[in-house]
Formats: sequence, C-alpha cells, structure tokens
Amino acid sequence: MKFSFKHSLTLLSGVAALAVAPAAFAQSCGSVTIANMNWQSAEVLANIDKLILSKGYGCEVELVPGDTMPTLTSMMEKGKPDVAPEAWINAVREPLDAAVKSGKLHYAAASLVDGGIEGWWIPKFLADAHPEIKTIDDALNHPELFPAPEDAKKGAVHNCPSGWNCQITTGNAFKAWDAKKRNFVLVDTGSAAGLDGSIAKANERKQGWLGYYWAPTAILGTYAMVKLDAGVPYDDKAFKSCNTKADCAQPARTDWAKSEVLTVITDRFKKAGGPAVDYLNKRGWNNETVNTLLSWMHSNQATGEDGARYFLKNQAAVWTPWVSPEVAKKIQASL
Amino acid sequence: MQWLEAFPAMAPEQLSALKKYIDQGFRAITREYGEAIERFFDPLKAFLIASERLLTQSPWWAVLVAMALLVLVSTRSLKLVLGTVVTMLLIGYFGMWEDTMKTVSMIFVCTVVALAVGLPIGILTSRSNGLQRLIIPLLDVMQTMPSFVYLIPVVMFLGIGKVPGLIAVVIYALPPVIRFTNLGIRLVSAELMEATEAFGASNWQKIWQVQLPLALPTIMGGVNQTIMLSLSMVVVASMIGVQGLGQPVLKAISNQYFTLGLFNGIAIVGIAIIFDRASQAYGKRLQRHSEVHHG
Repeated sequence: MKFSFKHSLTLLSGVAALAVAPAAFAQSCGSVTIANMNWQSAEVLANIDKLILSKGYGCEVELVPGDTMPTLTSMMEKGKPDVAPEAWINAVREPLDAAVKSGKLHYAAASLVDGGIEGWWIPKFLADAHPEIKTIDDALNHPELFPAPEDAKKGAVHNCPSGWNCQITTGNAFKAWDAKKRNFVLVDTGSAAGLDGSIAKANERKQGWLGYYWAPTAILGTYAMVKLDAGVPYDDKAFKSCNTKADCAQPARTDWAKSEVLTVITDRFKKAGGPAVDYLNKRGWNNETVNTLLSWMHSNQATGEDGARYFLKNQAAVWTPWVSPEVAKKIQASL
Repeated sequence: MQWLEAFPAMAPEQLSALKKYIDQGFRAITREYGEAIERFFDPLKAFLIASERLLTQSPWWAVLVAMALLVLVSTRSLKLVLGTVVTMLLIGYFGMWEDTMKTVSMIFVCTVVALAVGLPIGILTSRSNGLQRLIIPLLDVMQTMPSFVYLIPVVMFLGIGKVPGLIAVVIYALPPVIRFTNLGIRLVSAELMEATEAFGASNWQKIWQVQLPLALPTIMGGVNQTIMLSLSMVVVASMIGVQGLGQPVLKAISNQYFTLGLFNGIAIVGIAIIFDRASQAYGKRLQRHSEVHHG
C-alpha cells in the first residue's frame, strides 16, 4: 500500500513536470502559426521563420497554407494566423492600415529590403536579338515579335492571374499605352501556374513573350528575363488614385510603385512572442539573395524546407545579424 | 537493420536526380515536337474561335431564340423552354451574358470533340473484349488523375488559352461517352442480333441500323454526363487562361468576393440544369420512340 502510494506520487510529480514544461516554454514564445503563402519566396521565408523560431527561440511553430487576401483577411477578422512573413501590402493597404491603427495587427520588418519589383518583362534572348527594345513603348511598336496565342496577327500582353491586384494595374497600363490600337490583345493567364507556364514555354521554345511579372521569383532565377523600362517616372498620385482601381477611367502611363513587402504580425503574438518578435522586427533580405536561393531551389526541385535549410547552412552572413549570437549558435547546432 | 526502422526509400539525391532527368527529357520533347503538336491542333483552335465568335457576336435575342428553339425541338416541353428563357434572361440581366456565351461555346466544342473521339472508341470497345480490358483501366486513370497533373505538360506543349483548356476538359469528360456507348451496344439483346444476322445484314448495317439506334438512349446518358463533367471543369480550365464563367470565380476566390463567386456559380448551375434537362428529355424521347417500334 505504502509502496503504491509512493509510486503514484512519483508518477504524479512526473505528470506535473510534463505539464509545467510547455508552460515554461510558453513564457518565452509559445505556439505560433505562420502563413505559408503560395508563392516560392514567401514559402521559403515561412520555412526559415519556422526553423529560426522553433530552434532558436523554442516556439511551437505551425505553418498554415495561405494567400495574400485570405490570410490577411483572416488575420484582421480572426487574429489567425499569427505571422504573415511576406505580405505584399499594396493591394490591401487601406484595410490593413486600419487594422494596424486599431491595434489588431502590427507591421514588423520589411521582408524584402529592396521592395518587390513589378513590371513588364521580355525574355533575354529576345532583348539580345532586338537591342532597340528597351521600354514598354518600344515593345508595343513590335506586335509581330510577341504573337498572340489565338490570333497570330496580333501581339499579346500576358496579364497577371485573375483576381490579383496586378491584373488591374496591367489592364490599366494596357489602356494607358494604347496597346489595343497598336494591335495588341491582353491575354488572361488565369493563374500563377498559367502565367509561369507561358513563360517557361516561351523560353524553352524561343518564342516571343511580353507580359507582367514580378521579382523576386524562381522563374526569374531560372529563365533569363529582362524588365522593360516604363520609360516614364513613377506617378504616385495617378498610380494610387486610378491605376490600381478597377474602374479607373483615364489610367496614366506610370511605372509601377515599388511594392512594400512587410512582415505582419497579430497583436496577440506581439505581446506573447517575447524575443521572437525582435527577430521578426529585424529580419529582411535583398532580392538578389532571394533570386539566387529560389533558382537553386528550382533547379534542385527543393521544397521550401529544403531551401530554408540550404540558406541557413550557406548564408550565415545574411541571417546571423537577425538574431543574437547565442540564438545563432543554437540554430547552427540544430542544422 | 535500418530498413526496419525507416522505410528503405530511394536516397534523396537519387530521387531528385531522377526527377530532374525526367523533367529534362520532357523539356527536350517540348522543344523538339511542341511546334508540330501545336500545328496539329490548329483546326481545333479555329473551330473554338469560330464557335465563340458566333455566340458572342450574334445579337443576344438571336442566341436566346436559337436556344429556345433547340430546347423545344429536343424536348417538346414548353415548361423547359420557359425555364431556359427565364434563366438566360436572368444571367443576362446580372451582366454575365458574355462570359456565359464563352462558357457555352467551350462546352459545346468540348462535347462535340468528346463525341467525335468517344463514339468510335466506344463502338470498337463494344466489339472486342480484349480492347475493353485495355480501355476501361485507361478511362479510370483519366477520371481519377488530378487535372492539375496533366495541366503542366499541356501548358508546356500548347501554352495557355482555349486549346489546352479544351484538352484538359476533354480528358476528364471523355470517359462517359466511351463507357455508355460500349455498354449501350453490349446491352442490345442477343436474340435481336441473331435475327439481324438471319436476315443477312452486313456488319455495317448491324452497327448503324440496329445496334446504334437501340443503344442511343444509353449513349445519350453518356452525352449528358459528358456535358456535366465539362461544366464542372470550367473553373479548372480557366486557370490556364480559358475565358468564361470560370475567370470571375477565380477572381472571387483570391479576393474573397462572396457575391461575385456566388452569381457566377449560380450561372454555371443554371446552364448545367438547362443542358441536363434538355439532353435527358431528348434521351427519354428517343427511348419512347424505340419502345413504340420494338416493344
């Protein structure tokens, strides 16, 4: 009887210790959900955050699939997930700013230090063969170089996927540059997969291609593409008040705004995250680093997690300044 | 005994090398034959463009009258004609006329192509048990393979737009035509076939004048299924640049536009019901007709 009492006591204390252990962790960081957005640069960044937060700060990290609008809407409405590592906020600026003002969400570090770059691109082999094509205007003077899939007599401008904000800006740029009168059609690509596929096909088959794309991306690391100069400066007023709106009557010729790409975190995590939040306030990388990493991932068919490990192993100079030396040691030991 | 603890999988390096090797081979094939394959589908592209022009550029009332007449002729039911007209008027009123025409045109061409390919294969399958054993598993693969998987090669070969969309839809929507044609012909009673044989009918006469007419109601069931499956692929096809009702649905998904998605979804359901009831009523009418003669 005595023995079994003692026995159960040890058992009990064991259970208690087990119960206490996560609680102790929770004080330092706790559990955190990170949005794993469905494009490559965001995917690898989400995986890097996962590795650093779990190995370096002892958080319990869960990645949840996401996309710009659904994820940010869910963060605003439900406070979940906790972190959007790479939010292209131009498209959602108004509601997001309101949510930040009201204290529901907070902006952390700029994920892409250079900002995201948007514009119209052509394959490099085409640019080399036709050095006179430098600007959007130049390209639109040569519909014959960019034959449309369904009407070879016309040129094609490949549009951004349905429902993305760039679909609106590209459509407005198409109008502003009078592309229709210049014998061009605007081709709907439907989805990111469709847009990427059309670029891959054009490069593999050495066909002309003109359309919207953005950096940093794996496609731009894999296929050599040249961004066309807008030929005009960025017109902040026209871009924000008209070119980004679907019902813009008189779109202006303007360069794309450099996209601000930020880390967005919820109020709950900002309060509960402790030192992990400091990391998210510092973490950011430049486009060249991302393009190179994505290109490595693409040619090795690596997953976001593989990419994150590869980056942490090989680019310590880039990421160690984001964390304290002790944390850096912990992470390096875990790789 | 490591293989007892972890599954003895291929080494990651080897696996990735294998994937890369196959991908490179595939790229080489697209470079080599892409052009020729694209040329091969040119007539189909012309057909698709012509059909879409006809539907989008004719005045709306002409299309509406033609649709009503078509439903009337195939079903002889005034109720269905009325339903069709009201549905189409509502679709037009809510600003989805052009997208709906594009989708109807796409579905029409897909169905024609599925019939043109599926009927002969179905007839051949019904005449040979060996062929049936070969074809049926293939049809199973076509219906269960996730469409995104074959979208990748289709886009690499043909780019984006109507033709690759059509191929993706037809791969998914073709099996019912083959299955139902095969089944319909096999269900024609053996006694009847003996009788035709006794009258000295040629093989050709047996197929065209006995088996196919008797199998027609079953085949119409297959056609009905094909139309429904094509419609269900509208959104997937729009992911590779097919225009129509799928595009606004995609837009709705990525922007959380609930109403936009719902309206276009209802429009898809609306034309699905019209096509379904019309083709089913036609099939039933065929059956009645055959019962009068052979019953």
